[in-house]
Amino acid sequence: MNDPAIEITGLAKSFRIGFLGRRKRPVLRGLDLVVHRNEIFGYLGPNGSGKTTTLKILMGLLRPDRGSARILGEPLDAPGWRQRIGFLPEHPYLYDYLTAAEYLDYAGRLFGLPAAVRAERAHELLRLLGLSRSAHLPLRRFSKGMTQRVGIAQALINDPELVFLDEPMSGLDPIGRHIVRGLIVDLKRRGKTVFLSTHILSDAETLCDRVALLRSGEILKLGHLDEILEVDVAHMEVLVTGVGAGIVEGLPGVLLRQAVGERWRLEVSEAELGSVVSALERARGRIRSVQPVRQSLEDYFFKEMAASGSLDQAWEAAD
Amino acid sequence: MGSGRLNRIAAVAANTFRESVRERVFSNLLVFALLMTLSGLLLARLSIRQHEKIIRDVGLASIDVFGLMIALFLGVQLVNKEIERRSLFPLLAKPLSRGEFFLGKFAGLGLTLGANVGAMTAGLLLTLWASGARPDLGLLRAIYPLYLGHLLVVGLALFFSTLAGPTIAAVGSLCLVVAGRLSDVIRNAGSVLPGAPSWLIDAVYYLLPNFRNFDFKDRVAYGDAVSLATLAWVTLYAVVYLGTVLSAGLLAFRRRELQ
Repeated sequence: MNDPAIEITGLAKSFRIGFLGRRKRPVLRGLDLVVHRNEIFGYLGPNGSGKTTTLKILMGLLRPDRGSARILGEPLDAPGWRQRIGFLPEHPYLYDYLTAAEYLDYAGRLFGLPAAVRAERAHELLRLLGLSRSAHLPLRRFSKGMTQRVGIAQALINDPELVFLDEPMSGLDPIGRHIVRGLIVDLKRRGKTVFLSTHILSDAETLCDRVALLRSGEILKLGHLDEILEVDVAHMEVLVTGVGAGIVEGLPGVLLRQAVGERWRLEVSEAELGSVVSALERARGRIRSVQPVRQSLEDYFFKEMAASGSLDQAWEAAD
Repeated sequence: MGSGRLNRIAAVAANTFRESVRERVFSNLLVFALLMTLSGLLLARLSIRQHEKIIRDVGLASIDVFGLMIALFLGVQLVNKEIERRSLFPLLAKPLSRGEFFLGKFAGLGLTLGANVGAMTAGLLLTLWASGARPDLGLLRAIYPLYLGHLLVVGLALFFSTLAGPTIAAVGSLCLVVAGRLSDVIRNAGSVLPGAPSWLIDAVYYLLPNFRNFDFKDRVAYGDAVSLATLAWVTLYAVVYLGTVLSAGLLAFRRRELQ
């Protein structure tokens, strides 16, 4: 029980490319990673960085060139751990002619769950994911977001200890994203482990205890978000409303001005903070908040990617 | 084989059956096949004495041809569609081995074909009854081998679909089916191609699936007996050939990387 949820050692994988497949493109280069139990672990990286390949190897869809992995304390080729995990693949496509309820029943049968348990869990998951009214519609009539939610439901049908979610927010509207975020937090509250592969950094920042940043098949950074993201106490962020662009443009000592709807977000050096706040108050502006500038995960990600020249690669992969 | 394994194979088979019978191609072919069987009634009116034989001929030929089409159309898509659409990925992350999935898909389409053959047999017997002839259960001695042949086509289609896309799988399966139905021609190829080595002709003849073994349509339509021993031999041939083809397909599927 004290084993890590996931333990990956020296995992490497390359794909054959070219007309005759004589060249190899490395996708994972000796990956080492440990995911602890009862954490939400963010697996982040641009397109083509190896996130989905890692998941496919763990799920047995691809064979690694080198390296090994253990899931819930068992090696990949042991059958037992599959009974205790759930998996949502990227962009799941389900069965056109099945209903959501039939599909979840099918998924439950593969775990050997009794019919009554399958029916109860399917009903509960469809309710949690806002799909109760669509339970008996064929899946071909589902929107992309609804299909994604059914995909998440099938990953949870066996009440797994460990859930692998590959881009779970893909295709979801704001309500769907809110529901899924709540579901992930609830999984952690109930002692489960969540492995969240995503490139939506704001979700990772909101949800994850620890993250790994992946770049070209290697881990660039691994740790708690607080360790990764710097808090810059030398600069302060001021949010203000009720002032026009003319006033803001004329303020001395402001390092960054951003209009966000009716608000202005200003970055000010600590030494100039007093004079800037006084000037805003004199102009009848309303100060909404003053706090140290905290680097966002997105800021960090772009800084690191740009420093290593990976942004160009990411764009190429996206194209 | 443990009960857990059997339950998982049964789950995949039941799902495949449900998917297949809801596919438009299946229902369209089934309706068309039943219409063909019923058309025997009209054709029989053109004949003075042999109306019963014409109904039997048309009915058995419909079961043969439409069963073959369903086996080919659905068979080549069985595994390929699941890989291309990634619907297979969440399943293989569950306690379901590739072998269980593969056998479940085969069993599911086998059930679908069984339902098709059952519906068409009922249609043929009803047509005979409507024409005033005595519905003859002896027809089953021609229908059962046809069903075995259809299962073999599914096995070939599954084998090819683990190696290539649906188009190539369909062409490959169809070529083998056509060659297998012309096995007599292959056996006598020596008289047409005198230079061809006899060992090569024999090898091709024995390696190809001999679909002539499953064809008792004419004998039954004429009322000739097909012995149970013959049916047992045909069953053994189908089991051995199907077992070999499915094993090869399973081996290829186990090795396949699912990108």
